[in-house]
Amino acid sequence: MNPQYWEDVEIGTRRELGDYTFIEAEIIAFARKYDPQAFHIDPIAAKESMFGGIVASGWHTAAIWMKLAIAGRQRDRESGNTGPMRSGVSPGFEDMKWLKPVRPGMTLTYSSQVTGKTELRSRPALGLVKTLNEARDESGELVMSFIGKGFIQRRPKES
Amino acid sequence: MSDLLHFEDFPVGRKFACGPYEVTKEEIFEFAGAFDPQPHHLDEEAAKKSMLGGLSASGWHVCAMTMRMFADGIILKTANRGGAGAREACWMKPVRPGDVLRLEVEVVDAKASQSKHIGFVTFDCRVFNQREQVALVSMTPIVARRA
Repeated sequence: MNPQYWEDVEIGTRRELGDYTFIEAEIIAFARKYDPQAFHIDPIAAKESMFGGIVASGWHTAAIWMKLAIAGRQRDRESGNTGPMRSGVSPGFEDMKWLKPVRPGMTLTYSSQVTGKTELRSRPALGLVKTLNEARDESGELVMSFIGKGFIQRRPKES
Repeated sequence: MSDLLHFEDFPVGRKFACGPYEVTKEEIFEFAGAFDPQPHHLDEEAAKKSMLGGLSASGWHVCAMTMRMFADGIILKTANRGGAGAREACWMKPVRPGDVLRLEVEVVDAKASQSKHIGFVTFDCRVFNQREQVALVSMTPIVARRA
């Protein structure tokens, strides 16, 4: 059984979130809407760019992390292994790093590891959990990483 | 001579105004359905009972909309060598359907590289809604070519 409350979350716990293969049409569709730089949306101009071809927006690579994290929570719920009682709310993130270009056809493997826990004086019903989140390519090289922050419910006090 | 902005155009203290970006319910649903399918982004009734007290955009969607304003306002006008991430981002207020966002950025750091061809510029980014509340703050570095 996964931890139910902030108190049960253990620093060091690592979750594999699964794989995702980026296809060119999705890379271009995301970037046309949100990050229309030539090397994200125009295969011909991208060839002339420093990347030598189309690459995914870093925000696309990050959004896929969220997609896989939510899918993981859904799997937990369906299997009765409910996991932490998350609020689903996050105050933000730190140290978003896009280390290698993400090209069409690449498959990234995502993970999330608990690195810290903080009590919240202003919100006694919640605790903060920090995670180190990563995406690696087929050869295991780090492509993206960031420190995530999430609010998780604390165990209710016995009355 | 190109009309593009270069490293030298980003002295510390220079400010830029970007946007606006109108947030629609349809786009909130579309983004959340694709990347962040949680009830407070997809289901108006469930969202009312959530911690955010109503339907709100995914924080990643807010980052993406901010990127669009940043791209249109600065990046696409700059001799840009690509971004490498964001040092920090804080989601301060929920972004709701009907919100009109704008982005204010200020150069807080500018360092020439030893390579002489590029420089590193860091922007303090603040996204405001139409109620003048700050919805997102972030620290975003870019690499710009030198003139």
